[in-house]
Amino acid sequence: MSRSSSRALLALTFILIAGGLLVLNLGGYLQAVEGMALRPLGALQGWLSQRVSAVQTLLTSPADLATLRADNLRLEAEVARLERELIGVREQAAEAEVLAGLLGYARTRPESRYVAARVIGQDISPFIRSVWIDRGSDGGLQQGMPVVTERGLVGRVAEVYATIARIQLITDPQSTVNVRLQTSRADGALQAQLNGELWVDAIDQSASVTAGELVLTSGLGGAFPSDIPVGQILTVRKRDYELFQQAVLQPSADLEGLLVVLVITNFQPLAPPGAP
Amino acid sequence: MAYLLGTGLMALLAVVQSSLLNRFPFLDGTVTLILLATVSWALTGRVTEAMLWAFVGGIFLDLLSGAPFAVSSMALVAAVYLASLTEGRFWEAHPMAPLGIMAVASLVYFAVTMTAVWISGHPIDPGLALTQVVLPSTFLNLLLALPTAQLATRLRESAFPPPVTMG
Repeated sequence: MSRSSSRALLALTFILIAGGLLVLNLGGYLQAVEGMALRPLGALQGWLSQRVSAVQTLLTSPADLATLRADNLRLEAEVARLERELIGVREQAAEAEVLAGLLGYARTRPESRYVAARVIGQDISPFIRSVWIDRGSDGGLQQGMPVVTERGLVGRVAEVYATIARIQLITDPQSTVNVRLQTSRADGALQAQLNGELWVDAIDQSASVTAGELVLTSGLGGAFPSDIPVGQILTVRKRDYELFQQAVLQPSADLEGLLVVLVITNFQPLAPPGAP
Repeated sequence: MAYLLGTGLMALLAVVQSSLLNRFPFLDGTVTLILLATVSWALTGRVTEAMLWAFVGGIFLDLLSGAPFAVSSMALVAAVYLASLTEGRFWEAHPMAPLGIMAVASLVYFAVTMTAVWISGHPIDPGLALTQVVLPSTFLNLLLALPTAQLATRLRESAFPPPVTMG
């Protein structure tokens, strides 16, 4: 057999083995093996990610970094706290209007429980928007759990292994989030576009949506808890001949610079990742 | 021994790709380390090793990705096989040959992975993917193609020196 044909045969063999692995994985038979392989890889990812973050911080910080960093952290925490309070107060006021007529109605809302996790890597594929975190099923994480930062919604747990998990970001084109506009009370569906923009679609034509309006999760569909801040409306597109209006959204959370996220562990999602 | 070392190296490159390189994208593209390493090794003539490393490296990449499992393996093996076809051609020794081979290998790699991701139900805009991911990544791979090929040649010469014939 000539050298070139033996190489072709070798390449074909590898491709066929890879095809077999693909089929086995689709059937879910490789879950345990993947989990075992990801344990050391996740540890290595975490170690490297910490070093990279440290170097990156050192290189991008100003000279008198100790004082400035402390001040910045304090102010950021203060701004985040005030923003949360403001959103809470506005939301309560809007809800009070809706609920005023419903005598005897009392709404109880359980306190969320969080697990903090460090972002240790991004998806290798440039076509998929997701990140890896250093907590997995050992830390109580389950598929579908919502993920947030102190600023707002990040996404939800798409894959869980023992020590690490993959988070599907809201900027992934496969992700859909049911949302409600805070002031106009209109419902919509948040969908990432292929160019990376976030669009709130399916907003009722009669709703008066304005730029700057806050957008929260609606809780419809059961994939996310309600009232998590998602972002602010940037621009509105309304055409008389269309059934719905659309709006471009600026996410609250800094999805490009995620370092630490919070996973809400006491929320049981009704829909699998990918469903709204 | 080379197979074992290569497997460890591929795992390391996959982690570096995920934790380090993906933080510094050019548009949405990044250097594809494992593609660079395996194609460069194939160009030194160690094609069987390069193909095995491509297969193993692809598995590591897919472990750290939401893309369909083992698709990167297929894409990398195909790219390395195409690179091996240049062996024995009259322009093989041309100093710029790695550039052309790396361009073709990058395009094949992204064509296969993009198609697989699209088939798995993930929406992809081909125009945007081409301008935001494929071309920037290919450009970065081309920037590093010549130094990586040089490094691979040096490594091969020191690890596997050519036999000396007497008389």
